[in-house]
Amino acid sequence: MKPFSFHSPRGLGEAVDLLERHGPGAQVIAGGQTLLLAMKERLARPSALVSLAEVADLRGWRYTDSGALEIGAATTYAALAEAELTGVPLRGWHTEIAAVAGDLADRPVRTMGTIGGALCAADPRFDMVTLVVALDAELDTVGAGGGRTIRAAEFFDPVGGTVLRPGEILTTVRFRPQDGFSGVAFEKFRYRVFDAALVSAVCALRLGADGAVADARVTVGAVHPAPVLATTAADRLVGGTPTAVDTVEIGLVAADEVLPAEQATTSVRRYQRELIGVLVGRAIARSHERAHTTTAGS
Amino acid sequence: MTETLPTAPPTRPRAERHAPERRETGSGNKLVGRSVPRTEDLALLTGTARFIDDIRLPGMLYAKILRSTTAHARLNGVDLSKALQQPGVRGAICGQDLLGKVKPWGDMMQDLLVGDHFPFATDKILYEGQEIAAVVADSKYAALDALEVIEVDYDELPVLVDPEGALDPESPLIQEGINYEFGEGNIFDRYRVRVGDAAAAAADADVVVRQRFVSNRQAGAALDPHGCVASYDSFTGVLTIYSSTQSIFMVRDVLADTLQIPRNRVRVVIPEVGAGFGSKAQMFAHEVIASVLSMQLGRPVHLVLGRGEIFRAGTARTGQVRYAEMYLKRDGEITGYRDYIVHDCGAQSLWGNQVVHIGTNVGMLPYPIPNIHIDADVVHTNTAPAGPLRGFGIPETIWAKEQLVDMAAERLGMDPLDLRARNVVQPESFPYRTPMGQVIDSTSIDRCLQTCAEAIGWREKKARPEPNEGVGLAVSMKYTSCRHPSLDTDLSAVRVRLETDGTVTIFSSDVSHGQGHATFLAQIVSDVLGVGFEKVALAPPDSATAPFGLGTYASRAAAVLGTACRQAAERLREKVVAIAAHVLEANPEDLDTGNDRVHVRGLPDTGLYLENLAGYAAYRTHQLPPGFEPTLEAVATYDTPTEREAPDGSGNFSVTYSGAAHAAHVRVDPDTGRITVIDYAMAHDTGTVINPLIVEGQHQGGFLMGIGMALGEDYVYDDQGRLLNASFKDYQAPYATELPELTKMFEIPAPSVNIPGGQKGAGESGTGPVPAAIGNAVYDATGVRFTALPITPDRMLLALREKERRGLDSFRYPDDMPDFTSPRTPDEWPTPTGSDEGDLLL
Ligand SMILES: Cc1cc2nc3c(=O)[nH]c(=O)nc-3n(C[C@H](O)[C@H](O)[C@H](O)COP(=O)(O)OP(=O)(O)OC[C@H]3O[C@@H](n4cnc5c(N)ncnc54)[C@H](O)[C@@H]3O)c2cc1C
Repeated sequence: MKPFSFHSPRGLGEAVDLLERHGPGAQVIAGGQTLLLAMKERLARPSALVSLAEVADLRGWRYTDSGALEIGAATTYAALAEAELTGVPLRGWHTEIAAVAGDLADRPVRTMGTIGGALCAADPRFDMVTLVVALDAELDTVGAGGGRTIRAAEFFDPVGGTVLRPGEILTTVRFRPQDGFSGVAFEKFRYRVFDAALVSAVCALRLGADGAVADARVTVGAVHPAPVLATTAADRLVGGTPTAVDTVEIGLVAADEVLPAEQATTSVRRYQRELIGVLVGRAIARSHERAHTTTAGS
Repeated sequence: MTETLPTAPPTRPRAERHAPERRETGSGNKLVGRSVPRTEDLALLTGTARFIDDIRLPGMLYAKILRSTTAHARLNGVDLSKALQQPGVRGAICGQDLLGKVKPWGDMMQDLLVGDHFPFATDKILYEGQEIAAVVADSKYAALDALEVIEVDYDELPVLVDPEGALDPESPLIQEGINYEFGEGNIFDRYRVRVGDAAAAAADADVVVRQRFVSNRQAGAALDPHGCVASYDSFTGVLTIYSSTQSIFMVRDVLADTLQIPRNRVRVVIPEVGAGFGSKAQMFAHEVIASVLSMQLGRPVHLVLGRGEIFRAGTARTGQVRYAEMYLKRDGEITGYRDYIVHDCGAQSLWGNQVVHIGTNVGMLPYPIPNIHIDADVVHTNTAPAGPLRGFGIPETIWAKEQLVDMAAERLGMDPLDLRARNVVQPESFPYRTPMGQVIDSTSIDRCLQTCAEAIGWREKKARPEPNEGVGLAVSMKYTSCRHPSLDTDLSAVRVRLETDGTVTIFSSDVSHGQGHATFLAQIVSDVLGVGFEKVALAPPDSATAPFGLGTYASRAAAVLGTACRQAAERLREKVVAIAAHVLEANPEDLDTGNDRVHVRGLPDTGLYLENLAGYAAYRTHQLPPGFEPTLEAVATYDTPTEREAPDGSGNFSVTYSGAAHAAHVRVDPDTGRITVIDYAMAHDTGTVINPLIVEGQHQGGFLMGIGMALGEDYVYDDQGRLLNASFKDYQAPYATELPELTKMFEIPAPSVNIPGGQKGAGESGTGPVPAAIGNAVYDATGVRFTALPITPDRMLLALREKERRGLDSFRYPDDMPDFTSPRTPDEWPTPTGSDEGDLLL
């Protein structure tokens, strides 16, 4: 670690000012679960840290009038994971966000780590990175030049990292209202329970009035520097009702799309290719099952 | 919980004669055999124990080491000038500064003519992570800052990672300028066994099974880092070094020799040591570096390694490639074993060549195989130094041999359980000498085998297999301490002192790093002396005060140190009984000890308190018997009655052998390749167990290292010799959540006859059979025979897919994979490089 100054602003405006004032060496710290490890190894050497811990507006979540779910960027995994115990329980497929937050890393990391921290760290193996793209979330940011709203798929640079500008802070992650999807399922494979994913896959479906798939998003994470939408696989779902055979087949379509055989030259790559097929298949099956239960229930 | 089964019966007919008389001391409440909670645990659980990194001495400086980022290079120069100008920096050194001033080391342990270890690379870099320079400064941060401005001038050399590549005389030469007695080039030593006539056994065999096996490099991964604080007193000339080590005299003697100062001027003191597993059983470069810096500056120097440094420059398990074959008769009798081992010791290694000797000799157990023919080429590669690690070569041998047993069972159409039962050593009488030379003084290995098989539900599972599930067995016997071929000694010592208030202090140089010395030694002393358990304390190991002993490794604590302790306590007991007899005017034969006193036999509430007796010896010496030397100390050194290695590789290296039989039940997910050990049964023979709680802990921990070796851990190198997983984030050591509940643990004690208390080594029994048991279970579940470790989900799934694609019933990974480039079939196997002439061991 190298010496740095530490700042704990109370409000967003103050945070933005501090970042501007301390220039390029300044960095936001949320839970520190990525940043501190990098600092310890001297891989990151910020001269000033601006903490989001005291910025109240960035924690917690709410439902907007239109039914969208807005989660503050500095909300911890642990808080989200226990959302059902709070005053604003998550509903329908939004609970999958809490389920993902509760099934990653270990308890100390979940207690400190934040959803915004994972998105800004933009490590493709982090679950939230895949999930926000999969669910077509919108990300709000503020910076010295004002605020922006960025669609998740555009937030991540395909070659790695984010499109955040220096001094810009991610403030809010906005998910579609309930009717945006009928069923969502996140699947991942990790070697050990506390490891980051080797492959993650999400299927988000919307069923039409006839019960057939009206809309589908299939997303694969951890394989490329940013999550990849498997559009061919998704298109195959539209208009039908996936059966067990289809899910396996469409999984293979996704594998071909995301990591074609000719690119899978190392054994890790070949394994990831196999996993894409399996996990996409599982995600489709589970999201479809959920979509049906939800639709049947309503 | 461990279930203890009745003591194995048929272990002491003839041997009984050799067993010493066991004294009945009357009071009945013996502590040996009881799960006394560990004295050590309070400090550990409350976080008050002090480890190496907790040590703070007045005026202490901090040192950090610059390590090479390349695996093989010509080192042209190291420029420290900028580092020396950094704020807070007090000194900096590199290899050139020490040339001719400190002596290389490593010759004694390796049986080499000259030492091949030096504190820093001088003209050549041999592996990534090797020491290049060190800086000492007011703070760690200042030292790290200064490391960044050291300039290193080097030219890269071609890198050798593959151990079999080392056999090629054209391979890049790693250690230069050393003449080896039994090797040349990158082959720095050779080993061979010639017992019976293996060629004849092969010719007579009804079944021959052959397979190439590879075993992995595994980290010690002790959570407490390697490190030391060196403090040189320029007035007395005494160098005190606090170190996280398993052996204080190994550190003292080698350090003093390296620094060329008298051994009574080096004092090694040990804080709490948070495990070693074999990875701290030697002196390391950082101990020399901190000492030199402290001697230069006259101030204490703290030098504790980071995790990445420990992965790269601590020691890791030796890697092996084995070309192994086993010969059997139709009835299942194992008649011969042949092996050619390429034994990878990394770029330098203090104990590596010993690992192949002991691991192979003892690894032949529990089968008394009559014909054995083994060759090993012991090689260097540009990888992390190799060393001992839990099991000392036995898990590697068992990995190959116990899978051959299953392969043979399949060929013979025999149940693997029956094949093992047919072969495990169960002599008519004890002691029994195997053809390999081991003297078995007692064993219950046959019952261990049946017990673990029954516990896993072997017969039912074999009769009604579930898809994607399988069961596997493996058995081993582990040395209890060991006479190393390179060191003709196997001793430990204890001094006990009855203090003037009736408490007892135990002095020992053998470091407790998880073995619970303070607890189990106190149990022994309490029983022998009749002193309350809570009155017995173990002094921290300190070479200035402790009697000379070898240290804590090789599962030797309970048996070797425990025996020394028992003997010392018995000697002390004789003294106090003699004083009491004099004062009470009684016959010593009529006296007994117990309840903190010496009393008349049968009258435990009478007599004299130990406190009073100690008082006579210290403060009222006229009360002592005439001519009695007024000292209440007793010391005992126990050197095991073991043999040196014979020229044919045979010999009884160990005083007694512990048994381990394991049964694994695994499930494989055919979609992801994930391997889950859903159930695991272990039956052990640890002889007379002093403290079941400690022994169970050792078995659990041993299993943990075994499952890590089986399913995840390995040093992953790129072709430039860079270690890609040198952190706990990337290194696949198992988490608690991945482990099965160990509910099926059995102790079937066959008390050792050679060891007076009957105990055997516990520390490594839990590791040896694990990779093979899991490998056999994986084959049972999937038809995929893993010949290389670790068995990871990615390898599993790719193997399953390839097997399916080729429509095969049974398949070897990696041998049958399309991209496999090593020899697939025995006709392609390499031959050992050594000639059969000459004597390797003279
Ligand atoms: C042991 C361990 C296991 C883990 N396992 C998993 C896992 O299984 N799955 C998984 O998904 N993740 C896992 N993680 C990663 C975890 O999700 C990340 O560490 C995540 O970054 C935690 O967020 P944080 O708030 O601690 O980020 P920080 O470390 O505070 O910040 C990360 C980066 O984002 C920037 N930043 C943070 N917040 C903002 C903001 N609001 N605006 C702008 N920039 C910002 C920081 O400047 C920094 O560059 C694991 C981490 C650890 C240590």
